[in-house]
Amino acid sequence: MSLRRIAKLLRKDFALGPRSMPFMYMIILPIILTIVFQFAFGDLFAPKPRLGIVDAGDSAVTRAIAAMDGIELTRPEDAQVLRELVEANDLDVGFVLPADFDEMVRAGEQPSLDFWISGESLASNRVILAVTALDSIRGIEERPPPVDVRVVSFGEEGLPIGVRLIPVIVFYALVISGVFVPSSSLVEEKEAGTLSAVLVTPVTLSEILVSKWIFGVTLATVMSGMTLLLNGALGPQPLEVMVVLLVGAMLVSTIGLLVAVIAKDATMMFAIIKGAGILLFAPAIFYIFPEWPQWIAKLFPLYWVIEPIWQVSIMGGSISGVWMELGVALAIAAGLMVVTLVLAKRLRASLTGSQVR
Amino acid sequence: MTGPAIKVEGLSYSYGATKALDEVAFSVAPGEILGFLGPNGAGKSTTIKLLTGQLAKQSGEATVLGVPIERDNSEIQAQIGVCFEEKNLYPNMSALENLDFFASLFGIADPDSMGMLRRVGLAERAKERVQGFSKGMRQRVMISRALINRPKVLFLDEPTAGLDPVSAAEIRKMIKEEATRGAAVLLTTHDMHEADELSDKVAFINEGRIVALDTPQDLKLRFGKRAVRVRLRDGDGVREESYPLDGEGSSADIAALLASPELMTIHTEEATLEAIFIELTGRGLKA
Repeated sequence: MSLRRIAKLLRKDFALGPRSMPFMYMIILPIILTIVFQFAFGDLFAPKPRLGIVDAGDSAVTRAIAAMDGIELTRPEDAQVLRELVEANDLDVGFVLPADFDEMVRAGEQPSLDFWISGESLASNRVILAVTALDSIRGIEERPPPVDVRVVSFGEEGLPIGVRLIPVIVFYALVISGVFVPSSSLVEEKEAGTLSAVLVTPVTLSEILVSKWIFGVTLATVMSGMTLLLNGALGPQPLEVMVVLLVGAMLVSTIGLLVAVIAKDATMMFAIIKGAGILLFAPAIFYIFPEWPQWIAKLFPLYWVIEPIWQVSIMGGSISGVWMELGVALAIAAGLMVVTLVLAKRLRASLTGSQVR
Repeated sequence: MTGPAIKVEGLSYSYGATKALDEVAFSVAPGEILGFLGPNGAGKSTTIKLLTGQLAKQSGEATVLGVPIERDNSEIQAQIGVCFEEKNLYPNMSALENLDFFASLFGIADPDSMGMLRRVGLAERAKERVQGFSKGMRQRVMISRALINRPKVLFLDEPTAGLDPVSAAEIRKMIKEEATRGAAVLLTTHDMHEADELSDKVAFINEGRIVALDTPQDLKLRFGKRAVRVRLRDGDGVREESYPLDGEGSSADIAALLASPELMTIHTEEATLEAIFIELTGRGLKA
């Protein structure tokens, strides 16, 4: 087996990739899904409410709001600049605090405070900023609130749907890149006859299969990593996340290679992927519906890929906590690779054709 | 190397119960063109697939450049060029990219792909994607691809099938040039004129067996019927007659004919390879 020839084959696949529809589909679809889901459910990139305060003194209100992560605070030089920023919708809300504001509140003078609101700001941001400002002002009074509010949660504590959908999108990127791209690449070569043309050069079938596998592993790792990044879910240890994704990519690309070896043409390849689709995607669905019995997910091979991704990226766990899952994933990949290599002999026979003489 | 570039002895191959090749034997010397003539399904492509390592040998012996054939034999495959009947180029690559890619698989660091395309008259379209090419243009790229590693043995499977006469003539010219360079050429075709024009030797293959193997001229002499066709005055009209050149009394008949005042024109007739093939096998080449 020649590494130089594998590199040449790989280079050709990467060069041809952007010229083929499946490749572009694979790149674009996870991005579209991310945008759609973020639009529907919100995400970390949703703009924070933007508040401007002109503080002539050193108000405790300003200090309290500045300490809040969820609000983007701006401190313009004077009231005129503040007003211009609000008018231009560069800020959602703005107000001016006089130098002795805190003292007036403590003295019970009930000073008036004008809230300047941008006409184009979101209603949700207006409410958030108004309530936050009033809470902060109440804090200056240092008196017990007139009402004792107790927070009572109903329903099961859980992650928001936007977060629970992330495994689905990442999984989609992983499976499309790892299964669909290498399999369609090899099947296209079968159908166009280019595989036969390459096989009468010094290149061997094993070298072609290895190059397609590396093609799938690389794309699946990069695309799933990029999808996590787009969703702000690379977690506190991105390097460990990438290792987990690499293992997942190795398994899905082996499945892609197996599909490619079995499928005689594109129709058969699509039929196999469609038929096996539910088996491939089933584990991801269990993350959307956590109330379902989770042990069922373990019956599907790709559970052993998606669970480590979930734990290390979204839940912020360590790779040491998912070594068993990764081991199972690698074992399944190795088993499927053996099956693929055995079936590759059939592929060789089908390329020469029993009917053609 | 000395000796034949291709040597085949007793080569047989079956697809299941169907025998595709039956004890085939022939050899091709360096610089020689062997035309493999036979109808579809006769065993021409199977022979090429066995010799190029696409099929695993079942029985018999064969060597290419002195190396015994076996599937995926890199030593052989590095020194051969194959032109398939199917136009199997990468359609999303340009003609130049196709040649450069295949050259890289042979380990050629600085291939003369553009020179090769210039040779087939495609230099100006070298950077266009192959998917927009006509059948003739694709075939010219295919030939260029087969020659990119300057092969010592060239396998050409129906290289001019379906091409217009101009493209076919260009490709025949290139095949002759390659043989002159010293390449051994195994050419399969069911075009008898092509085989006659190009081949130093012709093998007739039918139902997996070689039924005749010789130079085109010797085949015609051995199996063809020589004759003269004459036009004679017949009153106010003209009549045509054919006289065999071989056989008893033929010399006397022709001598009498030449002395006849009725003789208008006289032409010799030569047997065609197709006629000989039909006589030997009882079937046509395009069947």
